[in-house]
Amino acid sequence: MSIILDHVNYIYGEDTSLEVKALDDICLTIPEGQFIGVIGHTGSGKSTLMQHLNGLIKATGGHIYFNGEDIYDKDFDMKKLRSKVGLVFQYPEHQLFEIDVFSDVCFGPKNLGLDKKEVELRAYDALRKVGLPEEFFYQSPFELSGGQKRRVAIAGVLAMKPEILILDEPTAGLDPMGRDEILDQIKQLQRETGMTILLVSHSMDDVAEYVDRIIVMNKGAVMYDDEPKKVFSHYKELEEIGLSAPQVTYVMHALKDKGLDVEVDAITIDEAAMDIIKALKK
Amino acid sequence: MLRDITLGQYYQVESVIHRLDPRVKLGGTLLYIISLFLFKNFIGYLLAALFLGIVIKLSKVPFKFMVRGMKAILLLLLITVVFNLFLTPGTPLVTIWKLTITIEGLKLAVSLAIRLTLLIIGSSVMTLTTTPNNLTDGMERMMRPLRIFKVPVHEVAMMMSIALRFIPILLEETDKIMKAQIARGADFESGNLLKRAKALVPLLVPLFISAFRRANDLAMAMEARCYRGGEGRTKMKPLVYQKRDYIAYVCIVVYLITSFVVGRLPFFTV
Amino acid sequence: MGIIRAKDVVYEYIRRDEDGNVEGITKAVDEVSLDIEQGQFIAIVGHNGSGKSTFAKHINAILNPTEGTIWVDGMDTNEEEKIWDIRQTAGMVFQNPDNQIIGQVVEEDVGFGPENMGIPTKEIWERVEESLRAVGMYQYRKHSPNKLSGGQKQRVSIAGVLAMHPKCIILDEPTAMLDPNGRKEVIRAVRGLNQVEGVTVILITHYMEEIVHADKVFVMDQGKIAMEGTPKEIFSQVEKLQGLRLDVPQVTMLAHELKKQGIPLPDGILTTKELMEALGV
Repeated sequence: MSIILDHVNYIYGEDTSLEVKALDDICLTIPEGQFIGVIGHTGSGKSTLMQHLNGLIKATGGHIYFNGEDIYDKDFDMKKLRSKVGLVFQYPEHQLFEIDVFSDVCFGPKNLGLDKKEVELRAYDALRKVGLPEEFFYQSPFELSGGQKRRVAIAGVLAMKPEILILDEPTAGLDPMGRDEILDQIKQLQRETGMTILLVSHSMDDVAEYVDRIIVMNKGAVMYDDEPKKVFSHYKELEEIGLSAPQVTYVMHALKDKGLDVEVDAITIDEAAMDIIKALKK
Repeated sequence: MLRDITLGQYYQVESVIHRLDPRVKLGGTLLYIISLFLFKNFIGYLLAALFLGIVIKLSKVPFKFMVRGMKAILLLLLITVVFNLFLTPGTPLVTIWKLTITIEGLKLAVSLAIRLTLLIIGSSVMTLTTTPNNLTDGMERMMRPLRIFKVPVHEVAMMMSIALRFIPILLEETDKIMKAQIARGADFESGNLLKRAKALVPLLVPLFISAFRRANDLAMAMEARCYRGGEGRTKMKPLVYQKRDYIAYVCIVVYLITSFVVGRLPFFTV
Repeated sequence: MGIIRAKDVVYEYIRRDEDGNVEGITKAVDEVSLDIEQGQFIAIVGHNGSGKSTFAKHINAILNPTEGTIWVDGMDTNEEEKIWDIRQTAGMVFQNPDNQIIGQVVEEDVGFGPENMGIPTKEIWERVEESLRAVGMYQYRKHSPNKLSGGQKQRVSIAGVLAMHPKCIILDEPTAMLDPNGRKEVIRAVRGLNQVEGVTVILITHYMEEIVHADKVFVMDQGKIAMEGTPKEIFSQVEKLQGLRLDVPQVTMLAHELKKQGIPLPDGILTTKELMEALGV
């Protein structure tokens, strides 16, 4: 279960005056079971890249291999790819349409042509995985709170049993409480299922504590691709492109500059606090 | 994919045509369309095309934008032409199987095609060079006399202008919802008519909900900015005729008279 | 009396089930009283459903209180005939930038408010120019709003309200749908209005880093004012904020954590610089 991107390019409005290079020579390997954060500000190409992964947008150059198969081959089954690579869009609650939550989640698996029993089993399972209490299953999705609607929408994609789950800004517009709940749920999902997850965000704070690997996108190209600590060590460069490392990174660097002997790569508050105390005691 | 629709889209550039009073452009377009139906020969069409060509040149809008609007009605155009080509009685020209093309049919089809093309491009020039707000302003002013008959002229104009503002937003939204449903395995492209119509439900329901939410938000925002109908409103850009507008009127009248005369000369008749 | 004063404001709405029967009554705003001085920068924070947006809509007379009274510059919002004066005095910017821009061109949108107020044409142009300059969007005056970024659209919305020459601007979660760059842009513009133009600002938000510069902060929870004070006073109570499920800046959290571990630090540290000074490095 892996995806390989080989020199992928995408140009908008080719041969017009409005030509924009949205993706510029992207080479990436997404192995099985990784939890990856994809960071970049609006217009960095991160959403465009994600839509390439399940074939919604076709690259204007380069190849994408899914389990070794070129997805642009004529006999490649795009529908199968879309069921294997689940994509949850920004504000996914805007696509809910059924009369109740459960039917809405059934939409995806039903489209896969599964029998009724399997469809319902998957829907039930998906709703449980996103932590939606059972009492909401037969309510109209439009009566739920913002955070709950979003869970339903995520369940709608999970019910297709994807092997890779891509979430595009899953916390956009939520308040801190809703944000933490969704992120914790995603982390738990990853731990329980071992699924490959790509979490797209414009905030480092969102992903810092959770992911194994961070891909930083800028102007359609991959700028950094490394484990979080190493990516954050470029905090000055990140700042220049309008992204910021977690605030803790700045504190630790500032302390170090002032001569306090701390490790600069602390990511969580606890790590940082312990580190500072250790340094102060020296 | 859905963004190709140019009809009703404004193209931002500085030009004489852009600066004209919308009433001139509205009236001019109307008169131009009428002129297209007065011609009795092909010289007239040539004149009309020439006039339009000059206006397009002056507008500085790239020609391909004009043509893009044509895509939407290409099918309609084709059907009209085909019907007229084969179904007009008269002197037979060619017979293919059971269908006969007549000289009259050929002439009628060609003239219809020219008419429709000029009509669409002519109206595109208006919408491409006039901001929709300006356009509705123009309409509001021109239809003002109708207020005597209790026609809510201001309200209609405001509604149109809001509709135009939200078309691009809703198109983008349609695109997004469609992609999201495709990602959930929806299929909008195969199956018979009934199946396709049913497949639209997951697209239309969210779209309507979003449109209603937007309408609600917008109404609130308008009220918060003291909107209370047309009464007592002033205009940021009041319509006042300038010298160039009078010149434009003269040009249009000259064109109309010339085309009326030339278009009825007994050469190359339709 | 301040520019905005609320006394025991209650807002109730009736929940109905599918058949229209009354299921219960929800108090979205519960006995809120506050007094805001002209020229202040006020922040109201709370999570979704805390009643902060509902309360904000009262100041603009979009909603009327079930009980209690709100005065805007001395005018009671319950008085029907004052409604347009109130809306001119207290302008409002909403959350979704797309759903509040009416004009097809930036400058036409900014002119919409003054047009409604019946301002003479020449003055509308002056107001549009000065408002667009105040938010740094003057060079975009001829653009279509659809082509702007979220932060730019929101600045246009702010200019649209500013052109009505309000004494007070209420911003109802203006940054909730923006990315970090857009958020910074908008907050910078808002602070500019307050400091340069002297407009009273009431900022409703759930992003805690945006309230650091406020003169006064109100924290709402379950329709009530749960905390009030300067940002420093508010952020001194880390545990209480966490109890209300609100974010605390990481520096403040770090200082709090260090203090818990026995390092002598003052409460309410908001910036890296303050932390460094307190640590004595």
